[in-house]
Amino acid sequence: MKLWTSHHTFDHPWETVVKAACRKYPNPLNPHVLGTDVIDRKVKDGVLYSHRLVSSQWRFPKWLTQFFGHQGPYYASEWSEVNPEAKEMVVKTVNISLGKHVSVDEVVTYAPHPENPETTLLSQQAVISIQGVPLIDHLEKLLTMRIDQNAKKGRQAVEWVIEKFQSEMKDMTDDLFSYTKQGMEDLQNVAKKSFDEFQNLTVPPPSQSIPKL
Amino acid sequence: MEACKELKAKYDRCFNNWFSEKFLRGIYDDSECASLLKVYTECVAQAMKDQNINIDEVNMAHLGTEQEKKTED
Repeated sequence: MKLWTSHHTFDHPWETVVKAACRKYPNPLNPHVLGTDVIDRKVKDGVLYSHRLVSSQWRFPKWLTQFFGHQGPYYASEWSEVNPEAKEMVVKTVNISLGKHVSVDEVVTYAPHPENPETTLLSQQAVISIQGVPLIDHLEKLLTMRIDQNAKKGRQAVEWVIEKFQSEMKDMTDDLFSYTKQGMEDLQNVAKKSFDEFQNLTVPPPSQSIPKL
Repeated sequence: MEACKELKAKYDRCFNNWFSEKFLRGIYDDSECASLLKVYTECVAQAMKDQNINIDEVNMAHLGTEQEKKTED
């Protein structure tokens, strides 16, 4: 059995981090996570309880997949609680398809940092346990390393989603500005012009002459 | 789940908006996305059944903890 723990401070308020954490999949940094699906969700006493299925496709070496009994996709059951009043989010993940020999249990907590409440402390813990197969220690180390790498990418993914929020806001402002400035008529003219040009094409033009819409 | 992709997209849009605009601001009524959640989770349950994804064993362990919590209340 291996116990892995990790801490990280996000330089963002708890609400921002929690919003990003809820929708971090799919993201380009964790391509092995295919997606999440909600199995059940409810609010009780001001706490949001969610049960989700996480689907992943890990690229394990073939000699390793034989211990799992299949080559994926792999599924995990994820239980989360979000308590906005206490400002705490807890996510528990249990693998369900790595076979009877392998168990990976993970607990992640997001809370305001006790020393700087404007930032958010992420605490992560995973218990990796392998039984009944040879090279247990080696396998556990390998899985632990994989979890460590993915956790780092997961944190980057949260930052990536937050950046996306911010650029979406910026895009919206930019769009509003340009619409007001140009007016719908101008946009229609551009569209008509490029459509005419497109229709008049006999040979493909160099790429820079394609009008930008 | 590929089969539930569209239902998920519709529900996620509703949920993400509700989560940031209402829930995190202390408005706990979750009825606005309830009908979208219902059709989406029904689809997920069926897709899991079709693909033989069984999470009952895992559920049992966690339901146990939920029931313990209820008795504490």
